[in-house]
Amino acid sequence: MVKQEREIGNRPDNTAFTQQRLPAWQPMLSAGIVIPGFVLIGLAFIGIGVALFVTSRSIQVLEMDYTGVEPTSPCFRCSDPDVKNCVCNLAFNIDTLFKGPVFFYYGLSNYFQNYRKYSVSKDDDQLSGDLDNFESPSDTCSPYETVGSVPIVPCGSIANSMFNDTFKLYQIVNGNEKLVPFDGKGIAWWTDYNVKYRNPSVTPLKNAFNNTVKPISWPKPAYELDTSDAANNGFINQDFLVWMRTAALPDFRKLYRRITEGDYAKGLPAGNYTLKIAYNYPVLSFQGRKMVVFSNVSWMGGKNEFLGIAYLVVGSMCVFMSIVMLIVYAKFKFPEED
Amino acid sequence: MMGPATSPPPAWTGSPVTRPIMLYKIPWPLERSRRWTRYTPLLNVNNHSLTSTNLWDASIYTRTKKSPWLAVAVYTGMETKMALNYQSKSQKRSAVEKSMNAFLIVYLFILISKAVINTVLKYAWQWSPDRDEPWYNHRTENERQRHVVIRAFTDFLAFMVLFNYIIPVSMYVTVEMQKFLGSYFITWDEEMFDEELGEGAQVNTSDLNEELGQVEYVFTDKTGTLTENNMEFIECCVDGNVYIPHAICNGQILSAASSIDMIDSSPGGYRREHEDLFFRALCLCHTVQVKEEETVESIKRGIHQGKPTSFYISSSPDEVALVEGMKRLGYTYLRLKDNYMEILNKDDEIERFELLHVLNFDSVRRRMSVIVKSSSGEYLLFCKGADSSIFPRVVSGKVEQVKARVELNAVEGLRTLCVAYRKLSESDYQEACHHLNEAKLALQDREQRLAQAYDIIERDFVLLGATAVEDRLQEKAADTIESLHKAGMKVWVLTGDKMETAAATCYASKLFRRSTQILELTKKRTEEQSLHDVLFELNRTVIRQRSMSGLSVDCLDFGLIIDGATLSAVLKANQEGAGSGNYREIFLDICRNCSAVLCCRMAPLQKAQIVKLIKASKEHPITLAIGDGANDVSMILEAHVGIGIMGKEGRQAARNSDYAIPKFKHLKKMLLIHGHYYYIRIAELVQYFFYKNVCFIFPQFLYQFFCGFSQQPLYDTAYLTLYNISFTSLPILLYSLVEQHVTIETLKRDPSLYRGISKNSLLRWPVFLYWTCLGVFDAVIFFFGAYFLFDNTTFTSNGQLMTTNTQMMFGNWTFGTLVFTVLVFTVTLKLALDTHHWTWINHFVIWGSLLFYVIFSLLWGGIIWPFLNYQRMYYVFMQMLSSGPAWLSIILLITVSLLPDVIKKVLCRAMCPTAIERAQDHEKLSRGGVAELTPLSSRRSYKGTSTDSSHLHLGAAETLSLHRSDPLPQKLLVHLAEGGGADLCSLSPYVLRLSGAGYAYYAPGPETSV
Repeated sequence: MVKQEREIGNRPDNTAFTQQRLPAWQPMLSAGIVIPGFVLIGLAFIGIGVALFVTSRSIQVLEMDYTGVEPTSPCFRCSDPDVKNCVCNLAFNIDTLFKGPVFFYYGLSNYFQNYRKYSVSKDDDQLSGDLDNFESPSDTCSPYETVGSVPIVPCGSIANSMFNDTFKLYQIVNGNEKLVPFDGKGIAWWTDYNVKYRNPSVTPLKNAFNNTVKPISWPKPAYELDTSDAANNGFINQDFLVWMRTAALPDFRKLYRRITEGDYAKGLPAGNYTLKIAYNYPVLSFQGRKMVVFSNVSWMGGKNEFLGIAYLVVGSMCVFMSIVMLIVYAKFKFPEED
Repeated sequence: MMGPATSPPPAWTGSPVTRPIMLYKIPWPLERSRRWTRYTPLLNVNNHSLTSTNLWDASIYTRTKKSPWLAVAVYTGMETKMALNYQSKSQKRSAVEKSMNAFLIVYLFILISKAVINTVLKYAWQWSPDRDEPWYNHRTENERQRHVVIRAFTDFLAFMVLFNYIIPVSMYVTVEMQKFLGSYFITWDEEMFDEELGEGAQVNTSDLNEELGQVEYVFTDKTGTLTENNMEFIECCVDGNVYIPHAICNGQILSAASSIDMIDSSPGGYRREHEDLFFRALCLCHTVQVKEEETVESIKRGIHQGKPTSFYISSSPDEVALVEGMKRLGYTYLRLKDNYMEILNKDDEIERFELLHVLNFDSVRRRMSVIVKSSSGEYLLFCKGADSSIFPRVVSGKVEQVKARVELNAVEGLRTLCVAYRKLSESDYQEACHHLNEAKLALQDREQRLAQAYDIIERDFVLLGATAVEDRLQEKAADTIESLHKAGMKVWVLTGDKMETAAATCYASKLFRRSTQILELTKKRTEEQSLHDVLFELNRTVIRQRSMSGLSVDCLDFGLIIDGATLSAVLKANQEGAGSGNYREIFLDICRNCSAVLCCRMAPLQKAQIVKLIKASKEHPITLAIGDGANDVSMILEAHVGIGIMGKEGRQAARNSDYAIPKFKHLKKMLLIHGHYYYIRIAELVQYFFYKNVCFIFPQFLYQFFCGFSQQPLYDTAYLTLYNISFTSLPILLYSLVEQHVTIETLKRDPSLYRGISKNSLLRWPVFLYWTCLGVFDAVIFFFGAYFLFDNTTFTSNGQLMTTNTQMMFGNWTFGTLVFTVLVFTVTLKLALDTHHWTWINHFVIWGSLLFYVIFSLLWGGIIWPFLNYQRMYYVFMQMLSSGPAWLSIILLITVSLLPDVIKKVLCRAMCPTAIERAQDHEKLSRGGVAELTPLSSRRSYKGTSTDSSHLHLGAAETLSLHRSDPLPQKLLVHLAEGGGADLCSLSPYVLRLSGAGYAYYAPGPETSV
């Protein structure tokens, strides 16, 4: 009896799991599934691809380099770093209605916002309005941490190198310049504007910046970024927020303004325009380029032909491969099954 | 401390106290073989010469405590036979682990070269000062002052840190977990549970699970491993009438009366006489002794004889079995008393025979005889021996019938003996006595003259019949060996037994078949020819046959028989110098062409030597040793995988083994199913791990080209850390625990599937290269897919989900998160594509991991984490998901990444399907139609005691194979008895055959009827 009990005690559990007999679904990549699957995926992708491609084609984009490298360029004069407060006029003309809403971007190339040292060179606590970090900014901000012993606010390379060209667009109507109104609201992430970046709750805002200095390259301190609108001043200035979101690649564009108001809500009508650029931002020292871009968007965002083409290519490859597989199967499989 | 104690203790004495201790180096007597007799130590101690005759066994010394002598202790400590035959346990590494390490070195090399390339490119790229330090990214003073070499070195280290994830540290953790947890499936396996022992399989090391799927050579012990270590009398045949005792059931002896089934079938006078003579012959013609008391454990072979304290013992277990068998047929040998042998016959009468002469057994004659004088005064010569030595000397008797029966039994693997007798007249007897005495007294050539005398006496026999004894094979041993053969393994039997016995077992266990051409490499042959000639001749034979038969090699297979002495000669010749011909190579060459090899007369350490020899041969095959006794330990330790049988000879082997199983038959499941599964599981695990880390890190490498080689990580720290730990760890771990690419039933049915994974086929370099290339391809797709979406285009969200925003720009963290999302989905879905066995666990972990990734990302980006000093991931994931193009590109990139693998799989399956893929197809086909039939039929054939579904796999083949050791069904006996007469002998084979095939039809089967 004792032996029997021992046996029972030692006997392994007879469950489906321990005996490796769990019920299982055993799918197989067989021709019956894969070939129709490929055809379906292929057709779906081709459909999406066509839609994307057509949409992308319908998007209008106007790009203009205003670095001023060539002597003929209107901004050539301004590209000299010794020239201060230079304004250059970029004239262009639009043939047909540029459908709205029109987005106005500035673009930089050969500009590495993704340098590791650069992209960490900020203090998120300081930017969320923590006054302790006004007094002693994070080490990551170095070398833009302090001037002497006075802390820089906002500290760090990113803030220091904030893009500071400004643009004004005029339509030439009967020889007169008519200002095209820019909408600078809501160009940054909602969460950045409302949650992540906060001004210190000190009024007036200027007082919070006592015993601090402005970033070295800035012409004016943070609390004067937009004196006209308190909701766009300091750390929650939309341009500042846009700049602070570091770009992924060295050639990038950032949203500057939208054209949504007044006569231009439906878009930019055909005609001649002048873009008045306050040329401040030096890029030639590192072989960079500056440009402005007008673009409108669709349901899938901005102009992006790559996605449409990629979908088309992959879709047709799927269809093609399904045909190849069909041939292979006809050759190798069917005689055997007979 | 070993050796024969033939002489009294050393004849010199001396003061035991004052003598200084001296150490002598004593030559070792004939390397470690079992021939201890040739001693050559010569040693002078104070002018006393010590030779082997002075050697004394340690046990004797300790027993005789007399006055103190001065003795020299030799062969002590590490030089004892025990210690010399013991091998220290060395660490075993599996082939998978070795290739894993090789792959790792490649990846280490890749890691270093990536870091070097990036460092070099960084400085090349930074050559122009505007790139080195643009105005917007000034360095600190400290950094500027640092020497360029130090800077370069720190950069190199930073790249190493950035790319270090390519070395899958987590793989080692996962592999260990897989091995540890996976080994539970072996211990849990109910089919490997032995009711008798009350134990299942044991796993002593989990490091070698996958090695079980790679075995190419199986070295097995014979006694106790292949056989039950239990001789059993099966049947005898008197003049063609078959007698079968079926007495031993589950180790219990039934009462004698019920065990005789058919002796009393129409006893004719002539027949009756032969019958009586036959049984008496077997009771008398032997050298069995009756031991009245239970003495030392060494008399294992003794079987209880009526009284609990008496055993039959003999140097030959066969004889014990025969006498034991006779007892069950009603004739009990009682004792040898004052030269009279006493027999208790069927009618419970004691018969006494005077034992006059014993003509001992020798292997040349292959027979033995006794001359006895019956109580009625008749002189009788009884002889039993091998058929080949008896039949030529027979003058009358039913030779044909007996011969047929003997041949049949031999085919069945039984050990057969023929029994004959001769009545001697008084004068015959005197003449025989004369011959014998003359020979025995001869001073010269005694053995030769004895042989001549035997030859004269043993002639003119009347054939009585034949016996069949089985060294009972373990249950399903033959089936197991057959499966192993089919699985492409070479089975070697290593045994200390003599050749004939071992060969019989090999035939019985289907190691050798009738078609097998046996090559002999034994001492007997090497005495005739030189070793050199024999080896070359055998090699020629093998090569000739191979070239002749061409493609049909497997039709004609070779079996080799080699003995210990020859083996050591082969190995020794090689040690002496390469000039004497590389015997080892020739020997290995012969072995390579033999599907089965039998090594007999082996010393324990020689077993290990053989294993070592094969291990070291140029193909480096994976070896497995299986044994049950202490003498197998060295071999078990030497082989790549050592398996111990929890046998009768203690647990030494089981304890020293890597895996212990109750029975030899469990080896089949161990290798063909568990081994196979573990191998494919771990192979996928290893390859997949490298793949997913390439996918993971290669985009980061590519990103360096677009961030000025500044070591900018592409992914957030949390993603970097958790990728291997949480997002992609569980699916592969669970895959590597539960995957079954084909079902257990298919693996069992078709052992040749094992060949598909032999030679580490899933971890070869081309496969590894494929996986790595796939990883690189996927990584390129991820990275450049995202790159083209971001580069120079206004890749933005249209902000429909968040109405306040209509346009948002994506930064570098969104870029990384996009790549990472595609990455996690792709590698997980790649595993899903590879998974063939979707249990709920697989569904749970695969979809669960993806869900976890999404939830984690939402959470990680959804909150301002107070303990972090950067909030770079804040809302990044949500913003990405709110963008239509992001969704579209994720779908596109995942599809593109998976496409090539799918296409490759489908095309390979169609164009050159592997055996495993064919089996999968077959399974799928059969699952449709036969699904309803199979479980029913197998349930019916299953033994009634349990309704466990786990036993449903018992295939038809298994139930049909009838083993001779199984008690025969009652009905069958009745048939045999009714058949009766002389025809029975020729008929019975068919009856038996039929019984084999029709076993399932004898409805309830033996288990219920006995």
